[in-house]
Amino acid sequence: MYSAEISRKNPGCFIFLLDQSASMEDPFGGSADRRKADELATIINKLLHNLSIRCAKGDSIYDYFHVGVIGYGQDTVVKSAFDGAMTGKDLVPISELANNPLRIGDRVKKADDGNGGLVEQSVKFPLWFEAKHAGGTPMSSAFKMAAEIVQRWVAEHAKGFPPIVINITDGESTDGDPVPEAKALCSLGSDDGATLVFNIHLSSAAGNPIELPASDEGLPDKFAKQLFEMSSNLTPFMIGRAQELGMPAGDGARGFVFNAQPVQVIQFLDIGTRPANLR
Amino acid sequence: MIDALHPVGVAPFSVEAFSCQKAGNARTEYEDAWAIRGSDSPTRCRVAIADGATESSFSALWAALLVENFVRGRVHGPEFFQRLGAIRRLWRKKVRRRPLPWYAAEKARKGAYAAFVGASLNAVNRAWRAVAIGDCCMFQVTGLPPNLELAHCFPLSHSEEFGSSPFLVGSMQKSDDDPLPHVRVSEGVLQGNDALYFASDALAAWLLRRAEKGEPVWEAIGPQGIRTEKDFEALVAQAREEGTRNDDMTLVRLTRRATWERGAG
Repeated sequence: MYSAEISRKNPGCFIFLLDQSASMEDPFGGSADRRKADELATIINKLLHNLSIRCAKGDSIYDYFHVGVIGYGQDTVVKSAFDGAMTGKDLVPISELANNPLRIGDRVKKADDGNGGLVEQSVKFPLWFEAKHAGGTPMSSAFKMAAEIVQRWVAEHAKGFPPIVINITDGESTDGDPVPEAKALCSLGSDDGATLVFNIHLSSAAGNPIELPASDEGLPDKFAKQLFEMSSNLTPFMIGRAQELGMPAGDGARGFVFNAQPVQVIQFLDIGTRPANLR
Repeated sequence: MIDALHPVGVAPFSVEAFSCQKAGNARTEYEDAWAIRGSDSPTRCRVAIADGATESSFSALWAALLVENFVRGRVHGPEFFQRLGAIRRLWRKKVRRRPLPWYAAEKARKGAYAAFVGASLNAVNRAWRAVAIGDCCMFQVTGLPPNLELAHCFPLSHSEEFGSSPFLVGSMQKSDDDPLPHVRVSEGVLQGNDALYFASDALAAWLLRRAEKGEPVWEAIGPQGIRTEKDFEALVAQAREEGTRNDDMTLVRLTRRATWERGAG
């Protein structure tokens, strides 16, 4: 289980669920000037940035993954969150996503000069999503929509690696208990295993980030505990990879983080030899 | 199949190489590399094999530069990895020659990575010295069929030592990425009929796994087991059927020529 090769012939599938409800306008992590919606936009843009680079090969990009992004909250509806050339699409190959950001910004950062030193270089930072916050939080409906997409995907990729659904939210669902919907989603899968659901909890409460816990002890509120309950156990390979990446994952670790930027989760899947010293 | 050392029959070693790209990939996407060269002396030989990492870009180019640099040089110790400045500059020059989309440029900025093992052999005293980073392997096989045995295995010696995240040598020199602590060096001497095999990681892991089960794997890759590319492809197909990771596979086989032995003696 969870051992299917991920390749262009057998691509993997990521579906991101973005909480764009009004409560996301509240401060993030006790901050005075940063909202949860800002944090969410940063996380999803970083995840897609890293995923695109991971799939880049030579002067091209390999479609190792297909990606869907569902927004829930704006006008209390649930729909594809893509804008621009990808508006309305529920799944796109990573090449289409990488080639269609809303805009690409330039930043200067220190980078290796190749001779052991550092040099200031202009690097590109694509942006696919802006901070949004309006309406209720139809999280249960978002999981239902994800289940519909997953059902179609696994029907076409029965032997492939099962889809991974990553929900980014402050946890306050307004359309009923999302736990049964998340469990229903996890009941779908391919021959290689059940769909994996991860949750990234962005809270207004200040507190230390929590990454990949094995129990809900120490989680700060009922929303965090509910999202933990909705989160899948990491596979043994993922636990090993998380440890290699310096994340505190032990036996029983679940795909749940609290007030953290887990941009390394896309490294949890194996698409070939990954140098230990590639950063 | 090649015999790159010497076209004439007086060469001390017979060297053959076999390679196969990942299933489903085009041949142009093959990212291993190998090189063979008789050094200054007609009785010396240098062999190297490298495995460009799937998760880095332009790694086939980097793997090819590494093996060529090794076989064309004279260095056969850890210092090989301290003298990569020229090929690192060449790699950067070739990569930066054309405009790249943002993701390709960002990936290239991280550099290419490869596993490497290279050996220098002296046909007169039969001594060899090998240097490696990562999980490409060299096997010294001794005896006569059907009683072949693994005499030496370098740098890994058990199938469970292979992982998906080895430390590899990079095309970008980085201050926090010194390869030297990860360099392995080994030395040995070939006995009468000994052969040396060089294999990229997935193949090496499979060979060791079979050997650990007591299966006659060294006969299978010997001169009687693999004569043509088709034979090698059949072996690769068997390895994949047995669950070996879908990876590029390369095998370089070095045997001593019996005719040269008699002539030299």
